[in-house]
Amino acid sequence: MASESSGRTFQEYLEHHLQNLVYGPLPAGHERKLYSKGSDETTKEAYCQSKNLDYDGEKYCKETLTEDGWYLANNKTDVEAMGFWALHIDTMFFSVLLGALFLFVFTRAAQNFSLDKPTKLQLFIEMMIDFINGVVKGTFKAAQNSLIAPMALTIFFWVLLMNVMDLVPVDLIPYPAELLGIPYLKVVPTTDLNLTAALALSVFVLYLFYSIKSKGFVGFIKSISLHPFGPWMLPANLFIEIIDLIAKPLSLALRLYGNLYAGEMIFLLIAGMVSINLTSFMGLGLNLAGITLSLIWAIFHILIVVLQAFIFMMLTVVYMNMAHEKFEQH
Amino acid sequence: MNLNATLLGQMIAFGLFVWFCWKFVWPPLLAAMEERAEKIEQGLKDSEESAKKILNAEEQSKKMLAEAKKEAKKIMDNAKNQSEKIVEESKNKATEEKDRIVGSAQSEIEKEVVNAKKTLEKDFAASVMSAVKKIVAKEVSMSNYQDTVDKSLDDFRK
Repeated sequence: MASESSGRTFQEYLEHHLQNLVYGPLPAGHERKLYSKGSDETTKEAYCQSKNLDYDGEKYCKETLTEDGWYLANNKTDVEAMGFWALHIDTMFFSVLLGALFLFVFTRAAQNFSLDKPTKLQLFIEMMIDFINGVVKGTFKAAQNSLIAPMALTIFFWVLLMNVMDLVPVDLIPYPAELLGIPYLKVVPTTDLNLTAALALSVFVLYLFYSIKSKGFVGFIKSISLHPFGPWMLPANLFIEIIDLIAKPLSLALRLYGNLYAGEMIFLLIAGMVSINLTSFMGLGLNLAGITLSLIWAIFHILIVVLQAFIFMMLTVVYMNMAHEKFEQH
Repeated sequence: MNLNATLLGQMIAFGLFVWFCWKFVWPPLLAAMEERAEKIEQGLKDSEESAKKILNAEEQSKKMLAEAKKEAKKIMDNAKNQSEKIVEESKNKATEEKDRIVGSAQSEIEKEVVNAKKTLEKDFAASVMSAVKKIVAKEVSMSNYQDTVDKSLDDFRK
């Protein structure tokens, strides 16, 4: 949809939708390029001039920075120049918004909790608490830790809400945002590796913390060096166990990211079909096919959305249980 | 695709969310749910207990009713006996009284009879004497016949 109206090719449309809104530092001397809007050279040049920028004669307005500063990235070259200290504003915004929504609803429910006359919302929340509590009680048996259940609840609902953003039509939010002057907008935070990696890393940090806390530092070292072959195969043990250790956060992060990124990509590809004009018979057919496919994929995606949130939560609880286990000599 | 400071921002956000949920969301909700579970359990227990109590009370009342019936029967039997006894006693008394009254009346009558005899005797003797006096005065002197008169009077007395 957006690809035609803004004069982009389908390739550019895809790239545009897969680019986060990045805010970060750029050094002096960096050449910024801004995608120029317009149907021909004169309108494009006029667009650049309206922003006090030079026109490169093809697609972009150019600007060479005279001093260091923080900017919104216009494209991939900007993002690469920003390096590590760049922030994905859209990911931060939507994730914090959804997390706050989750906490707001649950806090309200806790405050207005009625023993005799529960509202439907309260009943739903009670069901969820019961469900999470059941999962945690069934899986987390190594020790007592009051943090695990609330963390599982937070992970499940936060990830679920962020995943659900994937069911919002792909152009519904980014397109109006672009008209308002926001160049890029990814509304599904879980399609950003930064977010899934942040969750996985946080879980991993807790894993290491509780592992060392319950086994002791020596016990923890023993648990990764004396398994599974015994002390005389220490290097092999260390190699295997460290891979096993690193695989935990890596798989956690990449599983969620991959599932949601792929899902979003398929929505985008289907949306590309719909964007073809409606005048020809072929175009009409493609549009109908696109709408149908989009619907089918969305229904199927509901399953993935919930499943991935559940898997992330479940694995976190499982890892926490492993971390709390005492070291045993086999 | 590339990792950047967003990672750190998200870790902080995640930590804050989990902390908030840990402190302010999970405990009150779980506590409230547990409270209700307890309440329901207590209610069930109470209702079971009260059902038992009702059963007990029913039994008790049945027992009491039976006892009361027994008691009433006893009382009625007693009363019957008592009344029979009273009737019997009063009958006896009445008979006794009757006998006594009749007896006293009889003795009175006998006394009267004796009295009447005496009076009659006196009256009769006087009238006989006066009649004899009159006859004797006409025929003989009284002194000649005193013995005969006394003799006849003795006979009369017999």
